[in-house]
Amino acid sequence: MAVPPRHATMQSISNGSTAQGTDRPQTQQTQQAQLSQQSPGLRVPSNRKTIYDRHLNRSRNAELSRASFAFLFGEMVTYAQRRVTGIQDLEKRLNEQGYPLGLRLLDLLFYRSTSTSSSALSSSSTSSSPPNRPLRIITLLHLIHGPLWRLLFNRAADALEHSVSPDTPNEYMITDNDPMVNTYISAPRDMSMLNCAAYVAGIIEGVCDGCGFETKVSAHNQPTELWPSRTVFLVRFGDPVMEREKVLERAGVK
Amino acid sequence: MPTPTFALSTPCFSGHAVRTSVTLTMGVFSLIIINKAGGLIYQREFQSGLRNLSTNDYLVLAGTFHGVHAITRSITPKIPISQPAPSPATSSTGTTAPATSSYSYPNPGVPVSGLDYLETDKFRLTCFQTLTGTKFLLFTDPLTGSVDTIIQKIYELYADYVMKNPFYQIEMPVRCEAFDRHLGAWLRGRA
Amino acid sequence: MSSTKTSRIGEEIWKTRVDKVNAELVTLTYGTIVAQLCQDYDSNYQDVNKQLDKMGYNIGMRLIEEFLAKSGVGRCANFRETADMIAKVGFKIFLNVTPTVTNWTSDNTQFSLIFEDNPLADFVELPDDGRAQDELWFSNILCGVLRGSLEMVSY
Repeated sequence: MAVPPRHATMQSISNGSTAQGTDRPQTQQTQQAQLSQQSPGLRVPSNRKTIYDRHLNRSRNAELSRASFAFLFGEMVTYAQRRVTGIQDLEKRLNEQGYPLGLRLLDLLFYRSTSTSSSALSSSSTSSSPPNRPLRIITLLHLIHGPLWRLLFNRAADALEHSVSPDTPNEYMITDNDPMVNTYISAPRDMSMLNCAAYVAGIIEGVCDGCGFETKVSAHNQPTELWPSRTVFLVRFGDPVMEREKVLERAGVK
Repeated sequence: MPTPTFALSTPCFSGHAVRTSVTLTMGVFSLIIINKAGGLIYQREFQSGLRNLSTNDYLVLAGTFHGVHAITRSITPKIPISQPAPSPATSSTGTTAPATSSYSYPNPGVPVSGLDYLETDKFRLTCFQTLTGTKFLLFTDPLTGSVDTIIQKIYELYADYVMKNPFYQIEMPVRCEAFDRHLGAWLRGRA
Repeated sequence: MSSTKTSRIGEEIWKTRVDKVNAELVTLTYGTIVAQLCQDYDSNYQDVNKQLDKMGYNIGMRLIEEFLAKSGVGRCANFRETADMIAKVGFKIFLNVTPTVTNWTSDNTQFSLIFEDNPLADFVELPDDGRAQDELWFSNILCGVLRGSLEMVSY
């Protein structure tokens, strides 16, 4: 999958110069588009503040209403449903929508973990830029289970497990007892297999791929009496990843 | 999730202290939701109390109530008054047109509500109509208190688990498992 | 209802009655929706704008119930009060911003909402293809939301 163009720009942002002392209101984006400036190429808003002038951590602790997310996500599901052939196809589309988010969030996670503390997510830092990318599967999964989940949902995931079957050593399970994205969704009875957290599965897939771990991730309903919308994200690493894992194991890389 | 608590720990209401435990556990009989066209979109019993009606009877009940409600709205007295009474609601903006206060009913901001409740010895039907025209009909024991609070909570659950469900089509029958689940759990939690 | 009272209602609901999520998740999810539309409509931005408005309309018809259930406010007495309610309660509780209401026409039937801050477009840069900046109305979904929700309360 092609890396979206904005992906590249996010990395280059480190420390925006602070606001240039103007309180002039920044006009709405839609209105900016209508301003009649004739110069070609990217335009600078009238107050000269571009997105590069804003600190990336500006929105770090910002909150919006959960309802707003639910309505937008609902429209995403409705829209995705229009051209699909079945449940699997719908989940595939939702997965594809989440994927680019994973790529972007990965960079954001690294940016924030390096700029706020030097505690490494993984040990190796042989190359100077960008450090601390996970090299081993378990480090990567911990990154997803902890920091990624906290960034997205303000809490860690509920469980991380490795497949016990000797036939599928490449399978791992991340469990969320009550996925936020599904809070208000009730799938119709004839679609009871559907799990809209396929969107989150796509995010996980994007994070893994961004780290160089080829993966397929899918979301499955595993309800319990206490947790009716409990979801298990099945993470299946590709063969090359498993082979590399063996080499790294032998080399003692953590 | 609140664990179900029993009787006396629930908020009490004045006047019926002796019957508190009885009325709260037996409070809510059933709920009906009627869309703005008068169609029945939800019907659920929470405990045996009212006798069962056939599906068709429920449809008739919804349609009939809808019609009666509309009539009670239209016969609401609209009495002209010579001098605009000082109304606390209009003290603020200063942009309210003077014409709007020349009737005692309806008061701007206080729309005519139509039939609000209907009571027999054995049950009370409370109607809450939202500004969008949806009606929530709650059948309760006549002694059940804080019916307004209950309906308000039901409206919030409806806004959450019905309106935010992408698989729900507006104005159509409500079949949302999460709505049923949270509604049931909340009412049980109250009981 | 006075303007300051309306503001207080909005603040109060936002602080005490609104479940929150990370704003970046919302922004990124919305960005994904727009990006997908641009792809599906082959960068025909007029069509993208139309589709965004349609999505917003669907949202508005549903969101109004949340607005009414959470705020408990009654019917507005006039359009100026409605404008205030939209800006100070509606946008406050859904996007935690309060746009300025301005540009009223003399017959009180038209006004503008000016946003100093737009969380949907946080860190967004429109495609540099020479057209998007003129033709794509990135936050057009908001227009649809307003249309849908006002229609449900008979405007």
